[in-house]
Amino acid sequence: MTSETATGTRTAPPSRPRAADPSRADVILAEVTAMLVAVVGDELLIAGDVERGSSFHDDLAIESIEFVALAEQLEERYGDRVDFMAFLAELEMDEILGMTVGTLVDHIAAQTDGPSPTDAHRSAAAGRGV
Amino acid sequence: MHVDANGLRFHVQHLRGDRPAAARPTVVLLHGLVLDNLSSLYYTLAPPIARAGYDVLLYDQRGHGRTDRPPTGYDLDTAVDDLAAVVKACGITRPVHLVGNSYGGLVALHTAYLHPESVASVVLVEGQSLDPQHTGDLPGPDGYKGGWVESMANTLNLVALGLERNRWDAAAAAADRQARKAARVRAATDALLNDTTLIEDVSTARLLTPGQLAAVRNPVLALFGAESDLAASGPLLADLLPDCDLEVFPDAAHALLRDAPDALVGAVLRRLDALSAAAGSAA
Repeated sequence: MTSETATGTRTAPPSRPRAADPSRADVILAEVTAMLVAVVGDELLIAGDVERGSSFHDDLAIESIEFVALAEQLEERYGDRVDFMAFLAELEMDEILGMTVGTLVDHIAAQTDGPSPTDAHRSAAAGRGV
Repeated sequence: MHVDANGLRFHVQHLRGDRPAAARPTVVLLHGLVLDNLSSLYYTLAPPIARAGYDVLLYDQRGHGRTDRPPTGYDLDTAVDDLAAVVKACGITRPVHLVGNSYGGLVALHTAYLHPESVASVVLVEGQSLDPQHTGDLPGPDGYKGGWVESMANTLNLVALGLERNRWDAAAAAADRQARKAARVRAATDALLNDTTLIEDVSTARLLTPGQLAAVRNPVLALFGAESDLAASGPLLADLLPDCDLEVFPDAAHALLRDAPDALVGAVLRRLDALSAAAGSAA
């Protein structure tokens, strides 16, 4: 249950379906970081590590066109389990760019909980040509 | 992903709708000039159009976003060729709906004029100017004296000068991510304005004349903001184009994506659904 005040103001973050397994979340964080470096370039890491609390806009200074390229990489890697367009469609552009890496990692972890994606899954996703 | 088209590497995003293939046309979204790329449409217009079941194709036009930035070819004819080549490279063979924002509207309308057989319909989002406000005259048979394109080129010239005189040391900014981003955006804009023929090509662009507009046979939906500098163009366009509906959004200026996003999405979806229903009943 999420808690709301009588005025409807949200007082707690939306509950997640499941808490992410810390080690799996770390693996996903490392994968997302590698994707970011692939999109932006090595210089992203000159200013420090990409952490769960890093926001795409304020901390990582990701351009909106770079986030589009990141979303494409996420789709290729996890698209068989995670509907990123549906996830992003519920957010305003400001909310997308204001999101932290941890929020994205947790969303992926929750959606992909279960056996690890196999190469077969990946090639099936790629075959959709999305 | 990227596709090779017209000698360049274009960044494209191709979203798939879930209508049956036979009833699922592609909607191509065309962004505006210089400080724009496909991301402005990717987060706004593309998701609702894809959710309504259509395929959506977005690409960064030459020199913009993550597409190559060649030194030349920023004229409208080349933009039309780029569009045709990108659509072909993506394996799309049926006529497409074109939605052009600002300068992207010029590209869309020129494509309809030159290649009507490959166009299903056109939606102009503040995408064409007949500009009597700037010239004091309605356009003559030979086209327009100055106007929107000229003032756009003048603005770009000022920006280009400013960027050239205040070049940043990108290496010194590398340790700060916000400075890195600012430096990258500046460097890309600087290179586009100062190292390519874009400003020259834009300033010599020929808008369609009244006679040419009268020959456009595709259906056009023209969307303008009531507070836009281009607002006077709407009724003129609707008069000159044989098949044009005009919708004007109150309290909105040139940037309809920012000023009236919900109304804009609603108008585009109503249009696509009406055309699809008509095509379905005709089939």
